[in-house]
Amino acid sequence: MSYCVNCGVELDRDAAACPLCQTPVINPVCPPDPQAIPNFPMERQEVEPVDHRELAILLSAMTVCTGVCCGLLNFVLWRGVPWSLFVVGACAVLWVWLVPPLLLRRAPSAVLLLLDLLAVGGLLVLIGTVLQGSVWLSGIALPVWAGFSLILLTIWMAAKNRSFLSRAMLILGGLALFLVWLEFIIDRFLGTYRPMWSLIAAAVAVTLMLPLAVVRTRPNLRRQVRRRFHF
Amino acid sequence: MEPCASQPSWYHLDNAAMMYSAIQRGNYSALYRFSAVMTDPVDPQCLQRAIDKTLPRFPGFQVKIRRGFFWYYFERDDGPGPVLQRDIRNPCQPVRFQNHDKLIRFFYYEKRISMEVFHALADGGGALVLFKTLLAVYLREMGHAVPNTHGILDVTQPPQPEEWEDAYARYAHSRVHLSMSEPKAYACTGTPEPFYTLNVTMGFVSVRELHAAAKGHGASITEYLAAILLQSILIRQRREGHRRELPVSLAAPINLRPYFPSTTLRNFILTVRPSINPELGDYTLDEIIAQVHHHMRLHITRQEMQAVITKNVSLQHILPLQLVPSPVKNFAMDLGYRIAGSRPYSTTFTNPGIFQVPEEMESLIHHMEVVLGQSYTPRVNCAAISFGDIMEITFAGTVRESDVEREFFRTLVREGLHVKVTSNRKECVPCHTASTVE
Repeated sequence: MSYCVNCGVELDRDAAACPLCQTPVINPVCPPDPQAIPNFPMERQEVEPVDHRELAILLSAMTVCTGVCCGLLNFVLWRGVPWSLFVVGACAVLWVWLVPPLLLRRAPSAVLLLLDLLAVGGLLVLIGTVLQGSVWLSGIALPVWAGFSLILLTIWMAAKNRSFLSRAMLILGGLALFLVWLEFIIDRFLGTYRPMWSLIAAAVAVTLMLPLAVVRTRPNLRRQVRRRFHF
Repeated sequence: MEPCASQPSWYHLDNAAMMYSAIQRGNYSALYRFSAVMTDPVDPQCLQRAIDKTLPRFPGFQVKIRRGFFWYYFERDDGPGPVLQRDIRNPCQPVRFQNHDKLIRFFYYEKRISMEVFHALADGGGALVLFKTLLAVYLREMGHAVPNTHGILDVTQPPQPEEWEDAYARYAHSRVHLSMSEPKAYACTGTPEPFYTLNVTMGFVSVRELHAAAKGHGASITEYLAAILLQSILIRQRREGHRRELPVSLAAPINLRPYFPSTTLRNFILTVRPSINPELGDYTLDEIIAQVHHHMRLHITRQEMQAVITKNVSLQHILPLQLVPSPVKNFAMDLGYRIAGSRPYSTTFTNPGIFQVPEEMESLIHHMEVVLGQSYTPRVNCAAISFGDIMEITFAGTVRESDVEREFFRTLVREGLHVKVTSNRKECVPCHTASTVE
C-alpha cells in the first residue's frame, strides 16, 4: 500500500495518484498494482434524454386549434375584416418560438434565433399586407426589424464563450447602435434625418462601456473588482 | 406477496417529498445511495430474488410518481422490477418522471450491493430499514440463517399502514409556527463538471480512533466531523480572499423518529444548521467544535422542531395555494428554492449513524457506504455511516475541485487518525492507464 506524501492518507492499491491532491504515486517498494480490482466500476451510464416530442405535439395541437377555430369563426360566422389572420400569424410565431427548440435540440442557438426573428418578420409582412400598409411596412417596420435582427444575431454569436464584462460591453454597444439606427429610420420616414436623442443615449452607452473595457483589459483591476463585488 | 386490499393505490406526497419533486429537473434529482460491501462476491441471481421478495413488503417504495392537477402523487407500481443492474462509475443519475423511471434502483459490483432512492420516497432512516431487510433476505437466499431483529422486517408479514403515514402531518400541531429563515451562507460552489458526472471520494477511518479523538474534544462523532467540515470550508473561503467573508453553515438532517414516536418509513427529517461567522474572528478547531456542540444541543428540541414542522405543513394547507395548478406551483417552489432554499447553507452533512444488524450478519458485511447525490448547485456534499469499526465518510458532488475533501481528510490525519481514501475521479486512474493522463 502507498500513502500520499502530501495528504498522509492511505491510497488504493491501484491508485496512480492521490485523489485529493493528484500527487502521483512513485513507490518503488510497492508500485501501483494494475491487476488490483478497482474500487469503482469503469462503466459509465447516461440516463435517457428527455423526450420533448410529446410536448411539441401538444403545443402544435394547441396553436393549430386556436388558429383553425378563429379562422372558422371569422370566415363562417363573422365575415368582414379578416381579423383571424392576425391570430393565425401570432399562433405561427408562437409555434416557431416554442416547437423548434424542442425538436431541434442539436441545432445551433443562432439558427433558432434566426427562425424566431424571421417569424416576427413574417408576422409584420402579414399585418402590413392585410391592412394594406405597404408604406409604413417598407418605410419603418421592416427596416427597424432588419436592423434589430442583425444586431441581435451579431451580439448572440459574438457573446458566446465571452466573459461577463465582454458580454455587457457587447450588449451596450448593440443597444447604442440600434438606437442610432432607430432614430435614423424614424427621421427618414418622417422627412429629414436630424440625429439627436439617439446620439445622447449612444454616448451614455459608450461611456459605460469604457470603464468596463478598462477593467476587462487590466487583470489586476479585474481581480480587485471581482473581490469587492462578489456575491 | 400480492398487494393487500387495504393497501391504497395512491399516496399523498409528504411535506419534504413535495419540495424534492418540485425542484426536480432534467439534470437534477435528489437521490442518495446506500451500499453494503460484503465479505464475498455478490450473487446477482440471489440478489434479484431477494429484491423480488422484499419489495412487496415495502409498498411505499414500489410506486410511480404522477402529476395531478394540483399536486404530484404516488401511484402503486404493479409493473415488474426494479431490475438489478451492474454498477456504474457515476452513481445517482437523475430520475426522469416523464420517462417513468423507477424511483428506486439496485446495483451490484464485485462485493458491493447498492441501493439508490429518490428522496421523495423516504429519508435515510426509512431507506435503511428496507436496505437492512434486503440484505437479510439476500443472505438467507445465500444459505445463512438471519433472524428478524435489529430493525429487519419480516417479509412474510403484510405491510403495516403506519409505516406509510405522513408523520409530518401527524405532529404539525404546535401553537407556534417557527420558520427557519437564516442569513445567506457562503455558497462553497466550484467549477461544474459536465453533465452525468458525479465525483465521489470516500475516506475510511476507525470508529474507535474517531470516537477517542472526538471525545478528546468533548464532542460526539457527528459534531466532531461537522466541525472539521466547517473548518475545511472556512479555509477555502479564506483562500479565495473575499473582502467580506460570509458565514459558513451546514445543513445537517436530523431524524425525528426518536423525538416524535413514529414507525413511518417515509420522510421524517428536519435540518439544523450549525454555523460559523468568520467576520467575528478566527476560530480554532476546539472553538468550532464547541459552537457546533452547543448549537445542536440548543436547537434539537422537540418543541422547536414541532413548531418548524407546523410551519412547513401549514404552507401546504393554505387554500389559495392549494388551488394553484401543479406546474405553476412547481415553478414557484423551484424558483423559491433557487433564490432562498439553498442560500442559508454551504453544504450538507449527514450521518445516519451506526448500521446495526444481527450478530449472524456482522461477519458477512465488511463495511457500509453512503453517497449523497448531486446537489442543486455545483457543490460537494458530505455523508458518513459506520459499521463495526469502520466509519465511511463520502464527499460527492458535481464540482471539479477537491479542496474541501482534501482539507477535511488532512485535518483528520493531523488529528492522528489513519485515513484510507478512494475515489472515482477521472484523475485517479488505475496505473495501467496512468501514462495517458497528464
